Amino acid sequence: MASKPHRVHHIAETSPSNSAKKAKKITTTTMKEGFEKYTQYLNEMNDKRERLVKASRDITINSKKVIFQVHRINKHNKDEVLEKAEKDLANVTNQYIARLLKELQGTDFWKLRRAYSPGVQEYIEAATLCKFCTTGTLLTLVEINTNLLPLSDPSHEPFQINVLDYLLGVADLTGELMRLAIGRISDGELEYAEKICQFVRDIYRELTLVVPHMDDNFEMKKKMETMLQSVVKIENACFSVHVRGSEYMPLLGSSEPNFSFLGVTDFEL
Amino acid sequence: MEKQFNEFSIKLEESGNLREKIRAVSMEMESAIRIMQSGLLMVHQSRPMPEVLEKAKFQIDVLKKLYGVLADILKDFPGQYYRYHGDWKSSTQTVVSLVAFLHWLETGDLLMHSEAEEKLGLGSYSEFGLDIEDYLIGICLMSNDLPRYVVNQVTAGDYDCPRKVLKFLTDLHAAFRMLNLRNDLLRKKFDGMKYDLRRVEEVFYDVKIRGLMTIGDSTEDPGREAKVGAMVIFFLSLFPEDVLHGGGAHQQAKKLGVFEVALIFNSWSNHQ
Repeated sequence: MASKPHRVHHIAETSPSNSAKKAKKITTTTMKEGFEKYTQYLNEMNDKRERLVKASRDITINSKKVIFQVHRINKHNKDEVLEKAEKDLANVTNQYIARLLKELQGTDFWKLRRAYSPGVQEYIEAATLCKFCTTGTLLTLVEINTNLLPLSDPSHEPFQINVLDYLLGVADLTGELMRLAIGRISDGELEYAEKICQFVRDIYRELTLVVPHMDDNFEMKKKMETMLQSVVKIENACFSVHVRGSEYMPLLGSSEPNFSFLGVTDFEL
Repeated sequence: MEKQFNEFSIKLEESGNLREKIRAVSMEMESAIRIMQSGLLMVHQSRPMPEVLEKAKFQIDVLKKLYGVLADILKDFPGQYYRYHGDWKSSTQTVVSLVAFLHWLETGDLLMHSEAEEKLGLGSYSEFGLDIEDYLIGICLMSNDLPRYVVNQVTAGDYDCPRKVLKFLTDLHAAFRMLNLRNDLLRKKFDGMKYDLRRVEEVFYDVKIRGLMTIGDSTEDPGREAKVGAMVIFFLSLFPEDVLHGGGAHQQAKKLGVFEVALIFNSWSNHQ
């Protein structure tokens, strides 16, 4: 029992003292101030990322619409359909791409690339598809970026789509071209289909040389596999028509196309 | 078409070369980090501190130079900091954790972002800085080292260490809770911090309940001592048997929220 008062004393004194409390207050305020800054930074960054993701989704949805519009072409309505597609595309550029480039200044362009890249890729897909259908050539990155220049605020470094997103978009383009080629064959436009086939082959060949140099090429490697499948599908369709088509010559160009000779079931459209 | 793709090849090859240069620096950084890390591990063996700290500090200068090299490489590529950031990101997080731990050992305070930038010489470049997320992840990594440090310090006889660390870690955890996090690495690291906190709490409890803590800063609220004394006498009068023979008195005190009294009873019963 003799130790009792001592123990009381001992434990009581290990509680934080007044002076310690004061010291603690000083350190926590600086810590608090620091973390307030970090909170603000993280909030702003997250909001921006969120806005970019939304803009990217809007670009994707509306670019998809342009692509679907292009697929509506047939022998007779080509000009009319493409005109509408181009108009829709210009709308995507002015309305949605413009939203992207307002956000992406300085280092944000690369920091937040993952947030907006899918939309940009889809946009490139739509733009290059339109261009191919009207002129039969590949829309270059320089052309796309020149087109975007007027949207940028002249006081800032202009927003330019980078090579990586362009290449990823072009890789997706071949999938759409495959659908287009099959559609054209069904419609009896064999020459058009063969032109597409040649075009897609060229793209594939050129890309095989570029892909190994790409930054993070895992995504691109997957796309290359898909692309090869698309090329093969178009080639097979052209082959079918070439080999068997002559027997059905009268059918080609008739208003009610007959798909059976294509072995269309082989293709997943 | 061919012309365009040739240009792309050249462009991409250039950025590939750049990346290789960066990776070479990043490798050097990693070896400097390893030296620093193994040097700092000595604190767990309670070697004389100043010598340990000096050795580790030497590596900070090495790292500072390497960051200078990186900044120099990227100087000609404005806006592309985050294109290559991934190659030194995780190294930087470790660097922050080590520098912050060192700073804490010296001062007992948290190394703030601006201070970390200054220490690593990252404040002076226009674009090349210390990413705040990297800094915060580094701080979480530092917190992972604290439980081990506390355990070893107590073993080496520093019984006041758990209290200091617990206070620091509690404040740090509270500060982190102010952040609105996404579901990313930082969130995951922060979620891990509570286990560090719990471990330190356990050590603190173990030390405190055995009355091992040194007589700390002795400017205690004078009334407090008298109050605790009065409570002990009050409990003694209520449950004399319990208190003396380690019965339910300490549970009773705990239930009533007078932890200091409960601790006293518990230490008595441990001694009997």
